[in-house]
Amino acid sequence: MERNAADNPPAPGAARASRRSLTLTFVAALIAVGVGIVLSYAIHWFPVKASLQARNTDTLYHVLVIASIPIFVLVVTVILYCVWQFRMRPGEELKDGPPIHGNTQLEVFWTALPAVLLLGLVGYSFAVLHDNEAKPAREIRIGVTGQQFAWTYQYPPSVTGGAPLNSYQLYIPKGESVKFELHSKDVIHAFWVPAFRVQEDVVPGITTNWRVTATRLGTYPVVCNLLCGLGHSLMRSRVHVVPLAQFQTWVKSQLAAGAGGSAAAGTTG
Amino acid sequence: MAVRLRAPGFYRAGWMMLGAIIFAAGLTWAVRASTGHSTYQHFLDANAILTVSLFAAPLAFLVGIGGFDYWFDWAIGRPTRPEDHSGHGAYSWKDYFRINTDHKVIGVQYTVTSFFFLLVGGLIAMLMRAQLAQPGSQFVDANTFNGLFSVHASLLIFLFIIPVFAGLANFVLPLMIGAPDMAFPRLNALSYWLLPIAGLMMLGSFFAPGGAFADGWTAYAPLSDNAPIGQTFFSVAVQFAGASSIMTALNFLVTIITMRAPGMSFFRLPLLVWANFATSLLVVIATPFIAGSQFMILLDRALGFNFFHAAKGGDVLMYQHVFWFYSHPAVYIMMLPGFGIISEILAVKARKPIFGYRMMAFSLLAIVALGFTVWAHHMFTSGMAAWIRIPMAITTAIIAVPTGIKIFSWLATLWRGVLHLDTPMLFALGFLTTFTLGGISGVMLAMVPFDIHVSATYFIVAHIHYVLFGGSLMTIFAGVYYWFPKMTGRMFDERLGKWHFWSTFIFFNLTFGPMHILGLQGMPRRVATYANQFADLNLFISIASFGLGLSTLVFLYNMVTSWRGGPRAVANPWRGLTLEWQVSSPPPVFNFDRVPTVVGGPYEYGVPGAVHGIFAPPPKPATVGAGSSSSGASGE
Amino acid sequence: MEAASIAHSPAHGDHHGPPPANRSSRVETQLLGMLLFIISEVMVFGAFFTAYFFIRVAKGAPWPAPGDHLPVEVAGVNTAILVSSSLTIHWAQTSIKNGNRFGLKAGMLTTFLLGCTFLFIQINEYANIGFAPQDNAQATVFYSLTGLHGAHVFIGLCLLLIVTIRSFRGHYSPQEHRGVEVPGIYWHFVDVMWLVVYSTVYIL
Ligand code: HEA
Ligand code: HEA
Ligand code: CUA
Ligand SMILES: [Cu+2]
Repeated sequence: MERNAADNPPAPGAARASRRSLTLTFVAALIAVGVGIVLSYAIHWFPVKASLQARNTDTLYHVLVIASIPIFVLVVTVILYCVWQFRMRPGEELKDGPPIHGNTQLEVFWTALPAVLLLGLVGYSFAVLHDNEAKPAREIRIGVTGQQFAWTYQYPPSVTGGAPLNSYQLYIPKGESVKFELHSKDVIHAFWVPAFRVQEDVVPGITTNWRVTATRLGTYPVVCNLLCGLGHSLMRSRVHVVPLAQFQTWVKSQLAAGAGGSAAAGTTG
Repeated sequence: MAVRLRAPGFYRAGWMMLGAIIFAAGLTWAVRASTGHSTYQHFLDANAILTVSLFAAPLAFLVGIGGFDYWFDWAIGRPTRPEDHSGHGAYSWKDYFRINTDHKVIGVQYTVTSFFFLLVGGLIAMLMRAQLAQPGSQFVDANTFNGLFSVHASLLIFLFIIPVFAGLANFVLPLMIGAPDMAFPRLNALSYWLLPIAGLMMLGSFFAPGGAFADGWTAYAPLSDNAPIGQTFFSVAVQFAGASSIMTALNFLVTIITMRAPGMSFFRLPLLVWANFATSLLVVIATPFIAGSQFMILLDRALGFNFFHAAKGGDVLMYQHVFWFYSHPAVYIMMLPGFGIISEILAVKARKPIFGYRMMAFSLLAIVALGFTVWAHHMFTSGMAAWIRIPMAITTAIIAVPTGIKIFSWLATLWRGVLHLDTPMLFALGFLTTFTLGGISGVMLAMVPFDIHVSATYFIVAHIHYVLFGGSLMTIFAGVYYWFPKMTGRMFDERLGKWHFWSTFIFFNLTFGPMHILGLQGMPRRVATYANQFADLNLFISIASFGLGLSTLVFLYNMVTSWRGGPRAVANPWRGLTLEWQVSSPPPVFNFDRVPTVVGGPYEYGVPGAVHGIFAPPPKPATVGAGSSSSGASGE
Repeated sequence: MEAASIAHSPAHGDHHGPPPANRSSRVETQLLGMLLFIISEVMVFGAFFTAYFFIRVAKGAPWPAPGDHLPVEVAGVNTAILVSSSLTIHWAQTSIKNGNRFGLKAGMLTTFLLGCTFLFIQINEYANIGFAPQDNAQATVFYSLTGLHGAHVFIGLCLLLIVTIRSFRGHYSPQEHRGVEVPGIYWHFVDVMWLVVYSTVYIL
């Protein structure tokens, strides 16, 4: 903290100039933060948003970005300011800076503030997690089976209202909470629907699961997102989000067509 | 010739390795003949021999070049050669190709070997980027591509970042604490020679039947349980690299604890020493876990054990717990020594004491402690018990606090300093920005719902490279430039150094920045081909990455030409206070003619008349003090 | 140069040696090194105990697997053998400290033989236990924990063999007996580790 005046006499003019440069830098940093935040909204970060979960997660992401921008700008601004103001000028080759060893208040401050900020952010993320995974009163269970290198889907009697159905196609109703129960026949895969913003590994020996409530009609990619061998890059499928009525007709038609039997050849549910 | 075959060296190593392979074949045959157990049947004869050879041949090599001669003599009570220091110093390039017990020679061996593997690993990255420039397969098939990124990551992690830090510290750490050498010089030599073995084994896997190991550097079971023989190369190579790390860490710890110069209390240690102390603790405690994980894989593969066979009651997720219990601490093993380098450089180049020295030391220890409590953040989507995510997310977020203390203290060190913006300093400042970005994306990943979307996407790849390249590699470049005069006795070309920095910094951000967006938009990692919607960004990234590759050539050219013909370096070109700068460049064979006495902190820049170490007996500091004070330290 | 330096002279010419390093800690380097090495070793066991934990505790698999039987009593006798070898090596160490060469030799020899007996019984147990590591995960864990420990016993025995031979050749003295002490620490570690393995694998 000791500033050695004799060693490093601040010229009176320099002090004023540096106050002005500080203000200037501060304003520039504020602008940078502003631009950053605007950009963070302008950039097209995500694929289409097709579920309740996606809405929550996207909001979380934006909050995280907005919290991060000032931190990053702070670090970069201080560096640039130091480079601008304190870089060695000709004739200063042998000069040293003031021997400042530390400042307890400052150190406590920059320990406590990030800690509080971080705990706040994790707390918020847990709230989102809780929302995203909450068990609803009513839900549809669909089995998902991964094997090198294909997906199959199992609709139990509780969904079909009849015989269990095995299919290579994945249809789910819009607006209903769906619980995917994931099984693997060989190695680990991961069942990921980017449009829903949810994934989980499909692990041999245990059943994992995730929930989603689709909110947008359409067809979205299903991606295997864990290295599972040669065909990993091509282990893709689709999920069709359809109105409930259409979902039920689809199930009926599948049952009627006996698809249950034919697709089951490749699976055992 | 007969003498040559018996004396330690490459000839002896050659025939011993041959013997080891014959032994492996014999052993395999004997065991299989005597058991005839059906579970050994699935295991091809050639594969069995190869597996045993992968252990036996390197050990024979080490014996052959003389890594164990002294201990053998000692163990059987034969007169050992008293340390005659014939293994010290390097007088021609040939001295770098034999067992050498001088920590400075070993430091150079380590550093150069590691950079060789950086080039190989980087070249592999170029192939990957060429493949990924467009969707569809350009050059290689999916299996080869999987092998490429697996070897890329394994080489760069186990054969570059981890050992290069050990190499730099090997060179400067004993000098910094005023010791003539490391505590166990022969162990030090041995730990170096394990490295080329591990590296060549990983590279050699490309020639194995079935191709290189292709399950990522994480080698998740059960995929790796049933992979072709290349996977065994990985499992065994990791044992050698891990043993090397542990030996070096043990050596550092003992050296730091028992061999400090008089007056060098723990709170007068340069922060690089503190950083390596912290890192070594991590290595000694964590590295056995990756050895364990790979042994389990080996047992599953070679002998049909059931660690990870779900059908027989094995636990697939257990692999990930054991693996990450090492590999998360490993990311701090790959970062903390870099923090040490940055502390050294910023203090010297800003001509100011490190701000908050004690907090800098304590935050390292805090990171060590916290580092053991966060491993499952790599498993948020793995299907483990859901509640584990809660404590792990909290500790993961909190680990940003000690890291933040370091960043802010560095910034405060810059404040009102006299900044010398030369190459080491540019890399240090570049590190501060890129690492902050990488760290922030890490903190985002700690937020579970967000991680659930981006886990295993290019967002992770971006995070990896921002912390490993923008973090570790930037500090390594900074450190290599900073100590280049000390290590080689030559100055590097400053203009080329600046070129290197700017091209690296720009192309780095152009290469890895857009990967964040790719990941968010849904591009998975570890894919040989991808959906058309990602084509534009990938092409951009590939082009930028070639620029990044070329910028590395600038560095290479600078290093090679400067080492061979650069201007002679003075002892203390940066006017540093720490002890390594108080001896000639390169240092004398035994470092110090007299053990220095430490009388003050290492970073007292700007304190009038401050001294860190003196080479005269303690009673008369005043006379020598002026010579090594901050204002005129370039003496010698 | 070679020939000259092979001489036993402890006082080495200072003209080309480094100044002796300052000793900044009272802990002996070899001891500290061995201690850190043992920490590492404990963590290797830790990795395999993690496997034990996940398969037996977290998954709740029956232990041992139904139909398998662990010979608790035989292993108990074996435990007693190994523990007593810790005592005999301690005897050997105190003996040499007091200049009792007979105690050193007898102590080392009994320790070595006790260790061999342990390993022999262990191998015999493998041969007769009735299940193989390939059968199920419990057996895998059983074999890998006891096998890992057995490997350590084997390495320990190699060290002990060296020390025993050297003590019969008249090496070591009350002043210079680090060669007995450092392997001794390792041997104690091997013993303690066995107690942990025995109680978790056989008894619990
Ligand atoms: C040098 C290596 C390194 C370092 C230092 C880090 C540092 C961190 N990492 Fe990273 N990580 C890797 C290397 C590294 N990582 C690798 C290789 C992987 C992928 C492995 C694989 O699957 O192949 C990975 C993956 C990874 C994941 C798993 C993602 C997934 O697979 O789903 C997570 C999740 O939490 C994570 C988090 C973090 C965090 C929180 C930090 C923190 O330590 C960062 C702390 C630093 C800062 C935050 C910046 C500075 C601080 C401030 C300026 C203070 C103020 C800041 C705030 C308040 C936010 N990392
Ligand atoms: C320290 C660690 C480190 C470093 C330095 C790098 C450096 C680079 N990495 Fe690496 N990378 C990892 C660690 C690292 N990486 C890890 C841990 C993974 C995860 C792997 C896994 O999933 O298992 C990964 C994965 C990874 C991927 C994702 C693969 C996938 O998931 O499919 C990609 C893709 O672009 C990539 C690219 C690059 C590039 C372009 C560089 C460049 O920076 C390289 C620049 C250097 C050079 C190029 C060398 C010098 C140049 C020459 C020798 C001349 C040749 C020049 C030309 C031909 C122009 N890396
Ligand atoms: Cu299935 Cu990747
Ligand atoms: Cu981690």
